[in-house]
Amino acid sequence: MHGGETPRPPFDGPVRHVYVHVPFCRARCDYCAFASVAVGGGGSATDVPRLFDAYVEGVAAEWERERAAHDVRRLRTLYLGGGTPSLLGPDRLERLLTVFRPHLTPQAEVTVEVNPEDAGTEFAAWAAGARRSPGSGALRGVRISLGVQSFLPELRAALGRTAQADPRAAFDRLRAAGVASIGLDLIHGIPGQTPELLAGDIATVLDLRPDHVSWYELDVSEGTALARRLARAEGTAGGGRRAAPVAALADDVRAAGYRRLVRALSRAGYDWYEVSNFARPGHKARHNLACWRARPYLGLGPGAVSTVGARRWTNSADPRAWAAALAAGRRPTRSVEELDDATRARERLLLAARCGEPVPLEAVSAVVDPDALAASAGAGLVSVRGGTLRVTRKGRHVADGLCVRLFRAPRLRG
Amino acid sequence: MAVVTPLDHIRNFSIIAHIDHGKSTLADRILERTGTVAPRDMKEQLLDKMDLERERGITIKSQAVRIAYAARDGQTYQLNLIDTPGHVDFTYEVSRSLAACEGAVLLVDATQGVEAQTVANAYLAVDNDLEIIPVLNKIDLPASDVPEAEMELHELTGATHDEILTISAKTGEGVDEVLEAVVQRTPPPEGDPTAPPRALIFDSEYDQYRGVIAYVRVVDGHFDRRQLVTLMSTGQGAEIEELGSFGPGMTPAERLETGEVGYIITGVKDVAQVRVGDTITDRRRPAGEALPGYKVVHPMVFTGLFPTEGDKFEELRDALEKLKLNDAALLYEPESSVALGFGFRCGFLGLLHMDIVRERLEREYGLELITTMPNVEYHAHLTGGGMAVVRNPAQMPEANSIERVEEPYVTASILVPSQFVGTIMELCQGRRADFVDMKYLSPERVEMHYRLPLAEIVLDFFDQLKTRTRGYASLDYDYSGYRASDLVKLDVLLAGEPVDALSLIIPRESAHQRGKALVTKLRQKIPRQLFEVPVQAAIGNKVVARETVKAVRKDVTAKCYGGDISRKRKLLEKQKEGKKRMKQLGVVEVPQEAFLAVLELEPGAKGR
Repeated sequence: MHGGETPRPPFDGPVRHVYVHVPFCRARCDYCAFASVAVGGGGSATDVPRLFDAYVEGVAAEWERERAAHDVRRLRTLYLGGGTPSLLGPDRLERLLTVFRPHLTPQAEVTVEVNPEDAGTEFAAWAAGARRSPGSGALRGVRISLGVQSFLPELRAALGRTAQADPRAAFDRLRAAGVASIGLDLIHGIPGQTPELLAGDIATVLDLRPDHVSWYELDVSEGTALARRLARAEGTAGGGRRAAPVAALADDVRAAGYRRLVRALSRAGYDWYEVSNFARPGHKARHNLACWRARPYLGLGPGAVSTVGARRWTNSADPRAWAAALAAGRRPTRSVEELDDATRARERLLLAARCGEPVPLEAVSAVVDPDALAASAGAGLVSVRGGTLRVTRKGRHVADGLCVRLFRAPRLRG
Repeated sequence: MAVVTPLDHIRNFSIIAHIDHGKSTLADRILERTGTVAPRDMKEQLLDKMDLERERGITIKSQAVRIAYAARDGQTYQLNLIDTPGHVDFTYEVSRSLAACEGAVLLVDATQGVEAQTVANAYLAVDNDLEIIPVLNKIDLPASDVPEAEMELHELTGATHDEILTISAKTGEGVDEVLEAVVQRTPPPEGDPTAPPRALIFDSEYDQYRGVIAYVRVVDGHFDRRQLVTLMSTGQGAEIEELGSFGPGMTPAERLETGEVGYIITGVKDVAQVRVGDTITDRRRPAGEALPGYKVVHPMVFTGLFPTEGDKFEELRDALEKLKLNDAALLYEPESSVALGFGFRCGFLGLLHMDIVRERLEREYGLELITTMPNVEYHAHLTGGGMAVVRNPAQMPEANSIERVEEPYVTASILVPSQFVGTIMELCQGRRADFVDMKYLSPERVEMHYRLPLAEIVLDFFDQLKTRTRGYASLDYDYSGYRASDLVKLDVLLAGEPVDALSLIIPRESAHQRGKALVTKLRQKIPRQLFEVPVQAAIGNKVVARETVKAVRKDVTAKCYGGDISRKRKLLEKQKEGKKRMKQLGVVEVPQEAFLAVLELEPGAKGR
């Protein structure tokens, strides 16, 4: 049998993927619910360099511990996310990469998230040069994921992004320096983002032709500054004053915007390979794909999440406590979640649904309601062929509702 | 040992009245003035024991109370007041209660005049050869119109001005005259103390410790404690464990004499064995003939009762079992519906009876229920001969196998101020009603008779009647047999699959309009699904109305990276859990609220 997928339990197997969480930002964005610490201008305050250095040392120490614990030999992907990894600057990033270099395979994908204001010529040179630095024969390229959010300053302002750097110029610098794979990070569904303004961002993206696009719908998390502002806007709705905060977009408008950008990017040759991710041929984010295919991954850094086999754990989010523990030779505190077979199978299904990845039926049949599966297949939301289940593109638009539908009903209590 | 009251010092009477005309208040006043109840034990509606009765101001179960009354002639009389239900649903119980009496106080609110139930109750009293004592109540109110009400009472009973008492049960004015009239005008009981004993059961009550308590009127002979007795309709034998009178609580005695009213406890556990209207006799010296008038009452209105939570089915069954102990007329059989799960098809005497049972289930047993559209019992005569009894629209045979469908009709009597005659005629025209006759009780008030399908009354006739006459019309009705009608079964289909719980049997001419209303409401109440869902109303294969529930355009969160997976999964699992209250109908998920909304759309389903 060729190409037969081994129904290995989700997240089982040797660890080949590492995520490093860089929990620092200049200022917290209004919509952000991530673990991050605002450090102002970056490097000016006296204790910031010390904080950054302690952080890099911490990652090195944690990596050594976890590498030994999980017997990690070779890394296929390394992802530096945040937070704002670019805030560390090229030197510290280089030191960070040095920690992992001995373990990266020649084909390894290394991704760094960058904010436009950090993507100066020096940074661009490092990003492009990292692939040629001495002793780095093992490293072919650094993927850059550029945090654009929107090309329109007023929409960035609506998100509380105050940095004035032009993302277009940042992109051009990275390209000019020779970075081989550049992805853009964008947001749609921003308050005030009319269909026309969205069309403008789409046009700019198509004009720049990045290798990869992540385009997320704005998620207003409870407790964020944005959530408070939108709540205020609702309170003043009808007043119609210019000074009033801009109200949230209607669900219909956001859904239409999403359909529009999926259509536009697909037509332009981007593969819509995950709900919010698009790639030109050969440029899918292999690190994220590995997670979505339920392969085991390690997360390093404060607040980072790891999943290996039947266990998922989350580091405590406080960078100082995390660094102090590692400096003292202790493991940072973490919260652990044990995943039973059914839970892992459900995760497998929900992740695959988002990517349209094929899943062997036998891997999920214990958690899937056969009647719901038949009904969903009848409606063209999933296809079931040759013992393989695959969520169609049509199904991907409603992947959450579809999973809820497909999951077997929980046992009635009592 | 109680002193035996001679027959000619016993008076058995009841008070009959239209709802809200002051029956319970008069009873309270009588108990007070005769010292039957000590002032500190007095409370309003004393004879109505159930919370529900007090709250709604209605009487559901009959009650009796023995009163010692020192009359103006210097003699003390034993008065037995039997309090009867006032509603048409319980007409049979009322008729048996009246059969236990020799006299009836016919109470009329002087501000309202004679109402439909006044007329119905007066005729029930006439049928039972009772002496009628007409009484006008609420004369203390400025709105009372005594001459007008007197004239109506005269027309109804033939009573003259001098014979009609005027009172205020609220202030107590004239209440003594009522008691005097009961003594003077009501004949004493006429039984034969030496004949084989016979007692009429006019109501019964279930007590979880003592079994069935039969409320009786001894007609002939007497009954003693420990006596062996037989229930004549069933031949059921029993021994009297306890008997006594009501004062108003149960007061045990050694013997119940001829003419007396009281209770008998035999230890029989099943109310169905101690039926209202049955006769109790001595086992060794049985009476030759049972007392007349016994019949088994049949439910007229049916509905499906389903617990909103599927796992409450057993609790519902237990609760119905318990209610049934005290309610021989309640019928229930298990029913399963694709849409609503497991429940019961229940039969009731009428809408009030249904409301009461449902409310008691919810209140006393803490059950949350979905009630399907009430319907009547249809008789489908089949082309191949034979007849199907249809108590649930889903049971209706295929249209092509039916020769004709018959439905129960009633003769309705509507009393209304004369300016509303046109309004009533208009309403009745739209309700498949046949005009019978009309007579003027006075220049201002008219009694109209119609024959119409019971189903129309079950739907919303009463509500409409009240609305259109600003509450002035009153209604009473009597069953008058089955008649053929042009009826169809209207099905509701979701994504092509019929929803059994929403099927209706309705007149063909209203199918389109009712179907349209149903599918529109459903379309509004069913949330968008993962795919488009047609909502149709159909008669057989013919679709008469159609709407579409649109598909969800987008239902997927944007981000799902390492740290999000748990959160995401838990969210979806929680949503799945939340869907337990959704009913899965084929490929469609329907929230319970959608059913409730549709059932509410059908006005008869609402409580009164």
